[in-house]
Amino acid sequence: MTLWLLPLMPLIGAMLVAAAGFLPSRSRGATRAILIGSVGVASLATTLIVACAMAVGGVSGALGNVSAAWPWWGPVFTPRLTFDALSRMMAILVPAIALPVVLYAAASMREYPALARLVALLVAFTGAMQLLVLAGDMLTLIVGWELVGACSWALIAFEWHDAWRVRDARTAFLTTRGGDLGLYVAAAALFSTTGSLAFDAVGTLHGASLSVVAAGILLAAAAKSAQLPFSPWLFAAMAGPTPASALLHSATMVAAGAYLLARLQPMLGAASWLGPAIIVVGMATSLVGGVVGALHSDLKKVLAASTSAQYGLMFVAVGAGFTGAASVHLVAHAAFKALLFLCAGAVLHVAGTLDLRSLRACSLGRAFPLLATLFAVGTLALAAVPPLGGAYSKEQVLAAATERSAWLGAWVIAAGFLSAFYAARLQLLAFGMPERWSENTPGRDVPERDRSAPRRRAVPTTELVGIFVLAAISLVLGLFWLPDSTPLVESIVGGRLATGADWELPASLASVAVAVAACWWLFSRCALLNLGLPERVREYAADWLGLPTAARRLVVDPVLALANTLAALDDRVIDAGIRGAARVAALLSRTLAWWGERGVDGVVALLARGAEVIASLSRRVDDDSIDAAVEGVARDIGAAGAQSRRLQTGLAHQYYLILAVGVLAVVAVASASVVLAP
Amino acid sequence: MLTAAIVVPFLGALFLLVMPNSRERGLRVVAGIIATVPLIISVIAWSRFVGGDGFQQVERVAWIPTLGASYIVGVDGISLPLVAMSSLLFVAAIIYPVDFRGRPRSYLALFLFLESVSLGVFLALDLLLFYVFWDLSLVGMYFLIGVWGHGDGARRAALKFFLYTLAGSLAMLLAILVLYLSSTPHTFDMALLIAQRPLDSASGSVSAAAALAFSGFALAFAVKAPLVPFHTWLPPAHVDAPAPASAILAGVLLKMGTYGFVRILLAMMPATFERFAFPLGVLALVSIVYGALVALGQPNLKRRIAYTSVNHMGYAVLGIAAAGGLISGAAEARTLALTGATVEMVAHGLITGALFLITGSVWRRAETYEMSELGGLARKAPAMMALSVIAAFASLGIPGLAGFVAEFQIFVGTYAVYPWLAAIGLLGILITAALFLQLLQRVFLGTMPARWNAWRDLGPVELLSLASLLVFVVVIGVAPAWLLNVIHASVSPLIGR
Repeated sequence: MTLWLLPLMPLIGAMLVAAAGFLPSRSRGATRAILIGSVGVASLATTLIVACAMAVGGVSGALGNVSAAWPWWGPVFTPRLTFDALSRMMAILVPAIALPVVLYAAASMREYPALARLVALLVAFTGAMQLLVLAGDMLTLIVGWELVGACSWALIAFEWHDAWRVRDARTAFLTTRGGDLGLYVAAAALFSTTGSLAFDAVGTLHGASLSVVAAGILLAAAAKSAQLPFSPWLFAAMAGPTPASALLHSATMVAAGAYLLARLQPMLGAASWLGPAIIVVGMATSLVGGVVGALHSDLKKVLAASTSAQYGLMFVAVGAGFTGAASVHLVAHAAFKALLFLCAGAVLHVAGTLDLRSLRACSLGRAFPLLATLFAVGTLALAAVPPLGGAYSKEQVLAAATERSAWLGAWVIAAGFLSAFYAARLQLLAFGMPERWSENTPGRDVPERDRSAPRRRAVPTTELVGIFVLAAISLVLGLFWLPDSTPLVESIVGGRLATGADWELPASLASVAVAVAACWWLFSRCALLNLGLPERVREYAADWLGLPTAARRLVVDPVLALANTLAALDDRVIDAGIRGAARVAALLSRTLAWWGERGVDGVVALLARGAEVIASLSRRVDDDSIDAAVEGVARDIGAAGAQSRRLQTGLAHQYYLILAVGVLAVVAVASASVVLAP
Repeated sequence: MLTAAIVVPFLGALFLLVMPNSRERGLRVVAGIIATVPLIISVIAWSRFVGGDGFQQVERVAWIPTLGASYIVGVDGISLPLVAMSSLLFVAAIIYPVDFRGRPRSYLALFLFLESVSLGVFLALDLLLFYVFWDLSLVGMYFLIGVWGHGDGARRAALKFFLYTLAGSLAMLLAILVLYLSSTPHTFDMALLIAQRPLDSASGSVSAAAALAFSGFALAFAVKAPLVPFHTWLPPAHVDAPAPASAILAGVLLKMGTYGFVRILLAMMPATFERFAFPLGVLALVSIVYGALVALGQPNLKRRIAYTSVNHMGYAVLGIAAAGGLISGAAEARTLALTGATVEMVAHGLITGALFLITGSVWRRAETYEMSELGGLARKAPAMMALSVIAAFASLGIPGLAGFVAEFQIFVGTYAVYPWLAAIGLLGILITAALFLQLLQRVFLGTMPARWNAWRDLGPVELLSLASLLVFVVVIGVAPAWLLNVIHASVSPLIGR
């Protein structure tokens, strides 16, 4: 059961945090924030400690795989957690990244009245992700998977007073849930073929059901990891507060897709199309995301595009069969991306904007050299500059790709060029020196109001703590570069690494150097923001080549229009059919009742009712003339026979009378048939 | 003892009518206490329940021996959860604050009467008794909508509901007769009919009598559930009904339709059912997708929730159709589908019951259901918002809440029998997500119109009532074994025989 503590402790911690928010606190914001923050941090810290202890065998007693069932679910399915090489790494990574993020959240939003809600959601988000990564079967996976999605909705819509944020949250949730359907289909196909939902059963699949399961998993993973064509939801997710973005982009939510593929791809190997399909999706996202990142003018959205692109690289590694390379990149990316987002939060704090057009007028680099340096740790890792861990992991992805084919390796180098380019561009535009513009090209591209009054405040020390921790993790991951680290890394991340070719490292380093140099050159020519492109072209490309608009026009609007049309039709047409049938029935019953009054006994009355029923079966008598003629059911029925008229009087005793007559008729018919039966 | 669950509320209704004049509050407390008795009885019945085939805790009194009709009540693992859920929902609905229109006495008496006959439907083990309770439940609901409904159309909506479902129940009456006449010896005893299966021929062909009986039952149940295109009575009935009556209509009365599919069609004529299972599954699929889409198109809060019932009952019928879609084979998956369908009945009762009660709170404060006039209410009513979020997320099938437990099993189980129906049906949970998130936004989030500045959050009685339902939604979502074991105990012999 210890294993269940890993997801349960954050989930319970979240409830405690929420409860702490209800405490009648007359104290100043700081005291409340300390209480809320420490409860949140404590629950994550204990999770982290338990996970580490289990990893070194301190708790379970054995280093091998541990599995634990949830016995209270049901007679057929038993949710199960598995602590093995792959999930071990994730179970440590998730709280390790969440911890500084929650610390930052409590510090940076300490005056915020809804701080408890934010911290509770962040901690619950972590717990749901723990459930997801530790899942040993499809049911547990779906539970964690959907809970992560639900938490993401609540976090993105955190500032719900703004309708647009809530709308964006809905977009993000619905896009990822669309992918979730793939998991449901995969689970159903797995169960119908093998009678089990355990991951182990995936390995026994073959034929059509194997393909269905593989396709479902790929769909879910691509949606969650913001791969094409689902990538734009990550932009919508930017409506959330900075700590939410930091967590969502690094160790939770987006990480789930790549993790799931790394987890299941080895068992799905029999589906020969799966590897290439994953590679195509990942490579395309990596390149398009790189272009978007290189062109966008919003700091956080550049980071979001880079998230898609980096996860694309992980997909490529998984598709090539080297899950270890994907995992190691996932770890490095989680550290530096959370760092970058928290720095972005600090930038927003001190500059009041994340628009790169305005930021370059703020001379943040001069005013906040420490922040600039910490941000540089992140951008250098993103650009894959050795000796940072991010560079090591990117080289591993490259090696994995080249092992598959040299051409694929070349594409990865191109993607690496793009990531180095947008990383350098981000650093220069956000923290570079603005004097050049003010001297050489006054006012170019810079909105007047922003240039005149950049907001300046100090970055609070408390905020910096979380950022420091993440920067330290990013730097420590540079240890990957130590010679002969490969076996150790493989055992940590629980997957294979590729050896690669000799030309890779020089080629990739050269591409990074060229990218950075190109950036610098463009920067000095003041063309770094739009790369000399017309503004309309730049905006189109930066918005995922118009993908969100296309999705809206092709999917969202038609569905909404269909819903509205059907809602209108439902009242007019289908109900008109029913009303028409009621008229026919009334006519029939009137005729039959007329017969009935001529002395035929109760059996005929019964027949009349039967006819009424048959008539309503034939309700397809649905044409527009009826629609126009029919005004309302009461009037139609009002024209009907005697029984119907009595029904309308609304007098209780008559209803009971009718019912009693009905029951008596049954008894009469039944008795008659008993008597008549041989 | 089970009989007391029917008799006590009935006597309670009479008692309320003759009780000396007292304040509304006192009457409500008395009615609430009386309504708690069936809840306690169902808890005791649950504790006495043992797994295995057949009915338990059966009570039997001769009624019309020459006809083979008796008063028989009892439970199995399918009816017991429905009885327990219904009696809980009745307590929550009866204590829920509502505008009595100056007639608290008759309102509460009718509610207790409705509880008595509704529980009778689920407890009855004699077809004739079943039919009587079934029709009496229409009467109770007719008056609740017609007299205490709001809006100009209340009486008309009530009449439409009454006539429509009465037409269905008359079809059922014919079908009952066919079934009765084909049994030897003639009997209305449901346990005997389940054992005999008189209309299923050994050769596998479907006789005219079987087809007639099946159509009669299926029509009645499809109207009641309701399935598209027999659903048009539902939205007006819901919109004009007082909120607690809506909660009962959606939570309890609709279940009679799905319960009938299982108890009568699936159990008494499985071979005939198998022949009609696929068309039924298609109808269920249409209900799922169409119901969700039409709900998405509704600007009216209560109509929107009403249409989600069409969608959710579609899931339940889909599971039932899959369970009956094969005579043998895929037994594990079919058991799963039917278990899921039964959980769906319970879950939908709790969840939609809570949602409708919340609309009642909205109506009492705003006198409108138009979502365009609401908005930003989370500012004034955080508790209402929080409980609505739980109920909405449960309804859209987020794990950890009851709806997921039902829908996951339905989809996984159905896939083995009708893969395409299951796969397309999944679209329903996506559309449902869209419509509930939009609902939450339009009612609770965004900017709040200034006219709602005096909006009150939920009162203690409202909180108590909603919490009592939602606690079970969470418990079933997190640890459903206690419920699934009971259902499974009766479902697996039914499928595996």
